[in-house]
Amino acid sequence: MRKQLLGLCLALVGATPAMANDALPSNLLYDASRPNKTIWPLPAKNMGELKWNDHRQDLSRWPTLSYEDKRPTAKPRKVELQGPLNGDAENGKKIAMNTQRGNCWACHVLPGDPQGGTGGPPLMNVGSWGYTDAHLYQQVFDRRVANPDTFMPPYGSNGVLTEQEIRDVVAYLQSLK
Amino acid sequence: MKLTPVALLLSGLCAVSLAAHAQQAGEPVYREYTGYIDYGKSPKASDDARHTGTWEHWKDRAKLDEKRVASAEDQWTTNWKFMDPPFDGSLHGGHEAQDRGEELYKQLNANGRFATCLGAKRGDLKSLRLQYPQYNRTLKRVVGMEQMIEHCAQQQGMKLENGSYDNTAVSVYITAFSNGMPLKIDVTRGPLKDSFERGKKLFHTKAGWTNFSCATCHVSIVGRSLRGQTPTTHYGDIAHWPTYRTKDELQSLHVRFAECNRNAGVQPLKIGSQEYTDIEVFMTALSNDYPVAVPSARD
Ligand code: HEC
Ligand code: HEC
Repeated sequence: MRKQLLGLCLALVGATPAMANDALPSNLLYDASRPNKTIWPLPAKNMGELKWNDHRQDLSRWPTLSYEDKRPTAKPRKVELQGPLNGDAENGKKIAMNTQRGNCWACHVLPGDPQGGTGGPPLMNVGSWGYTDAHLYQQVFDRRVANPDTFMPPYGSNGVLTEQEIRDVVAYLQSLK
Repeated sequence: MKLTPVALLLSGLCAVSLAAHAQQAGEPVYREYTGYIDYGKSPKASDDARHTGTWEHWKDRAKLDEKRVASAEDQWTTNWKFMDPPFDGSLHGGHEAQDRGEELYKQLNANGRFATCLGAKRGDLKSLRLQYPQYNRTLKRVVGMEQMIEHCAQQQGMKLENGSYDNTAVSVYITAFSNGMPLKIDVTRGPLKDSFERGKKLFHTKAGWTNFSCATCHVSIVGRSLRGQTPTTHYGDIAHWPTYRTKDELQSLHVRFAECNRNAGVQPLKIGSQEYTDIEVFMTALSNDYPVAVPSARD
């Protein structure tokens, strides 16, 4: 009886397509032989074929709009900041003002950037808003916990920034008085 | 036959693995969506008045407000129509592409079959653009005009890959025969309705490292600055495509989708994919009643 059940279970587990959740859809602009995998089309003049450029990073790691894509979106995640912050504000600033990393300035006005975006509130003096490190850590990690409709990217849940990088960003935010 | 605790535990595990299996087989995977605005069954460009409220500033390309066009703050409300003819009739790379398109078209249509394949009646290109996107019986799917240009050119022995310069140039040439005529696709029934519904859903589906949907920018952030770039309404966008991008090249609509995808940290899809075609159907319906105007340009 036990053996039978065990056998059945294994059969079921075996029946689950092993890589189904991780398999890349077939209709991505993706070329495994190129440095960053993700490519984009360049309509070179007077040609009937496309040329390809490398995107600056591999975007295929995250869910796409392909109908074949069975990889789930990362669910909102509540996190606790463990121990003291230990963040490097200087590095946090670099991340916040780097279009390819935090890219916070796309939506927030930060000191020293007259062009700052207006998608979110200005963060010129967010360090004097009285927020705890733990609150700010959660907002950058995944703001959907506080506001399910937010369009601020979930940097932690989506693995865009590491835990230490988020600590650095929080240290930078707290330094803005 | 008594079940021992171990057997019970195992059968519990079985149930869990069954559930996981069921999810992979049929149930939708977890995705998030930007809230839908009310598109109605049969959208049209002027519906924008109910959404971003910019419609009155771009409804007539010939009569745009010069002050608004020159204003750093309010320019976005003109939906960039100041780079379309007749407001801007200056010569640019789009005209060059139109000439190239004419040359290629004449070669391709030497025996008249290319035009027939595209659906032109008696070789007349007038209003041909307005038939697209369409459900195509030969290809058994919904297609945009550039997909059909690729297909019909292949039948004439010429490679015109969807998204390539030459394919897009032929598209500009053909589209120009519909200048001044309003787009009009019927998304109230049949395969186009299904495609419209799928495209609407995709437009609001969040993806990528940013967890952005198209609607994040074109609905939620519309009119606000993303460090120098201001997304405008998604109504009325399709009537000037393909367009000439002043910063690089002639561009087809699907190549634009790929650009918006990667700018937003979302992996782009193949040009001509069903997904992009469905988004094209959705956006074309949102441009219904708005007149075609090419060659156009965009920064
Ligand atoms: C796409 C736009 C966008 C980007 C990029 C973005 N944010 Fe935000 N952020 C918002 C919006 C919008 C809000 C306002 C609250 C809301 O809607 O969730 C917000 C709110 C905040 C707040 C205030 C939270 C509170 O509790 O009051 C902080 C702090 C913040 N963002 C930090 C950051 C940092 C740091 C980054 C970069 C790592 C970043 N944001 C990137 C859009 C963005
Ligand atoms: C990060 C923000 C952002 C996202 C997300 C985004 N776009 Fe855009 N898009 C822009 C900006 C900025 C422009 C240029 C200004 C304008 O025309 O709105 C633009 C332009 C366009 C245009 C050209 C409009 C014209 O007048 O020629 C189309 C079409 C378009 N987007 C479609 C899409 C689609 C489809 C998606 C989703 C696959 C998408 N966009 C996602 C920011 C975005």
